[in-house]
Order: sequence, then C-alpha cells, then structure tokens
Amino acid sequence: MKLSKVFFNGLIKENTIFVQVIGMCALLAVTTSAINGLAMGIAVIAVTVGSNLVISILRKVIPDKIRIPAFIVVIATFVTVVEMFMKAYTPDLYKALGIFIPLIVVNCMILGRAEAFASKNGVIPSIVDGLGMGLGYTLAAVLLGIIRELIGAGSIFGFQIFGAGFEPALIFIMPPGAFIILGILMGLFNHLRRKQEKAGEKEEVLDEYIYNID
Amino acid sequence: MNETVKLGLILLIITAVAAAVLGVSNAITAERIAELDKITNNQAMQEVLGDAESFKLLDESKLKEVQSASSNIVEVNEGYDASSNLVGYTIKAYTTGYGGRIDFMLGISVDGQITGIKVISHSETPGLGANAEKSYFTDSFKGKSASQELTYSKSPKADNEVQAITSATKTTKGIVEGVNKVLEAYNAALAN
Repeated sequence: MKLSKVFFNGLIKENTIFVQVIGMCALLAVTTSAINGLAMGIAVIAVTVGSNLVISILRKVIPDKIRIPAFIVVIATFVTVVEMFMKAYTPDLYKALGIFIPLIVVNCMILGRAEAFASKNGVIPSIVDGLGMGLGYTLAAVLLGIIRELIGAGSIFGFQIFGAGFEPALIFIMPPGAFIILGILMGLFNHLRRKQEKAGEKEEVLDEYIYNID
Repeated sequence: MNETVKLGLILLIITAVAAAVLGVSNAITAERIAELDKITNNQAMQEVLGDAESFKLLDESKLKEVQSASSNIVEVNEGYDASSNLVGYTIKAYTTGYGGRIDFMLGISVDGQITGIKVISHSETPGLGANAEKSYFTDSFKGKSASQELTYSKSPKADNEVQAITSATKTTKGIVEGVNKVLEAYNAALAN
C-alpha cells in the first residue's frame, strides 16, 4: 500500500473535475472568482476528509443495507458544521458561496469516495484519499476561478491586473464562460496526464489497487 | 433480534450522534452569527442614514400600519441624533430583480429626502445586475424627494430620475419599483 499513490490518484489521475467529471453543478456556479473557488475547495476538502474519516471508522459497524442513508447523514452533518462555522467566522465568503455550501451534501464526489474508498479501506488511507480528492477539486476550482476572474473581471483574487482601459469579457463570469473554460482546461489536463503516463510507468487498473489496500 | 429493528436502531444511533454534533456546533456559533447579523444591520443603517447616532425599532402597531401600506417592508428603524431628536427612518424592504429577491435598505430623513440606499443581498448576474451595489447607482438616489414617484434613465436629468444600471434593466426596474413602494408607505404612514 502506497499512500502517495492514493493521494496522487485523487489529485491527478482520478481528478474529480477533469477526469471523473462529477460534482460539477456547484463548481460551475461558484467559480466566478478565484477566492470563491478556493473557499469552495477548502469547504469540500474539510467535508471529504471528515466524512471519509468517520465512514472508515464506522465501516464495520454500518450494515450494508443501510450504508447509503448512514453515509448521507455523516456527510450532511459535516456540511452543516462547516456551514455554521463559515457563517460565524468568514461571513463574506459565506455570503459569496451562499446556497452552494449546503449543496455540498449532494456532491456525488463525496458520497462516491465514501462508497468506493472509505467504506473499504482503513482510516489513514481514507484520510489521504479525502485529502487528495479534495485537493484535486480545489485545484480545478481555483484554476477555473483564476481564469474566469482574469478574463471576466480583469483581476486575480480581487487585485486588478489590467489597467483601467481593460474591457472585461463578462461572458466568462457568467455560466457559458464556465463551460468554455472548463472544456479547455479539461482538454489540457488530460493531454498532459496522458503524456506523462506514456512517458512513465504503465497505466494500472485503478480499481484493483483501491480495493486491495486495506 | 429482528433485522429491521436492528437496522433501525443503528440508524437511530448514527442520527442521534449527528444531532448531538450539530447541537454542539450550533451552540458554539449561534451567538457569533447573531452578533454578526446585528453588526451588518447596524452598518447598513448607519450607511443609509448617516446623521443618526442611534437606532430604535419602530413599535409594533406603527410597523403594522406601514406594512399595510406596502407589504414588501420587513423592518423599520427610527434614527436619532446625539441629542435624541428624530432625524429619519431606515426601512428594510425587498423587491424582485432579474435573479430573484433583492433585499435593500432605504434611509429617509424627517424632511422627506432619501438619504441613501444599500442593497443588502441579491442574486443578480455578476458584472451586470450585481452593479446595483455600486455607488454610481446607489448615490443617484441620494437627495431625491420622497414625495414623488421615482423613475430611471441612462442619463438622469429630471428631479425624479435615478441612474439606470447598464444592461440590467430588470434589476434597475425592480429596485426602483421596490423603492417607490417604500416611499408610498412612508408617505402614508410615517411622513408628517
């Protein structure tokens, strides 16, 4: 069992956004600016790591028949806790992300990790998997946010990059821009990923090592 | 033990623990959230009615009277200056824009002038309708008389015209309509 493999599997090889293309709806909506993408990413990391940890601990207690409702309760609890703390300590971010925080509950990436990894693996690998997957999501969200904010508003993390003469292309902070940028990023990401895989070791069948790690 | 009962019990335990966790984090954060809400509200009131030093919630029966004139009004505060003279009112109300509900606060002085408007929350298009928060729009309400109905224009000239937001007619229209309703209620129930 190699933890680094689990980690990079989540970050790059099976990147939630660029490779698996799941958990998209909130991502496309919130990445109008880099800071929103980052905040959403951090919230998702917190929830994924937390739910993976708890589900991994409980994996032998939770009967198979009721695992899905049990997972959802665990995930929803973490999301609500994150929401409360964001509301109390980072009100501006909470305001910007608004409805999309509670929607993390239905982010299929998190339930997916619970089902595919945490419920079958030990505590440490599950935490690492949550971190990798969450960081992979954050990476995509921040990249998307930076590019959309740069073209659509002329700034990065709120700092103006171009002079006053710059006329922002508003479409990029509206929904169509999200799809355009996402498509381009996805293509680039997968191109680079394939190139690296060809150069390096032979591609493994992913499921095999995921399910045999415990 | 019956399997169904066992499954139910396990779920019960999981949800009970979850509820306990939520209760604890609510206890930690609730006070701070309420405090922050109050601060935000106070800041907004200070912003729209700069002359006032302290604010007092309008009493219940009077508020009912205001709300019966215009149903979109949420909260009314009286603003007092340092020597506790009534200087004006801050009125929290809502309207509908392009993306849904817009909450705003309007300040009106006792001599019947709009002292300011602040958009508190909205879900308008970023870069277009979201410009309703910007000062070039909100400042154009300042000093307008409360006794007239407001309209909007790209290059306001008349006394009752406010600056329209570029490419966001629905947002502009929504807010101006909301403000007009508030003015109506003000004239009906609050103005002397």
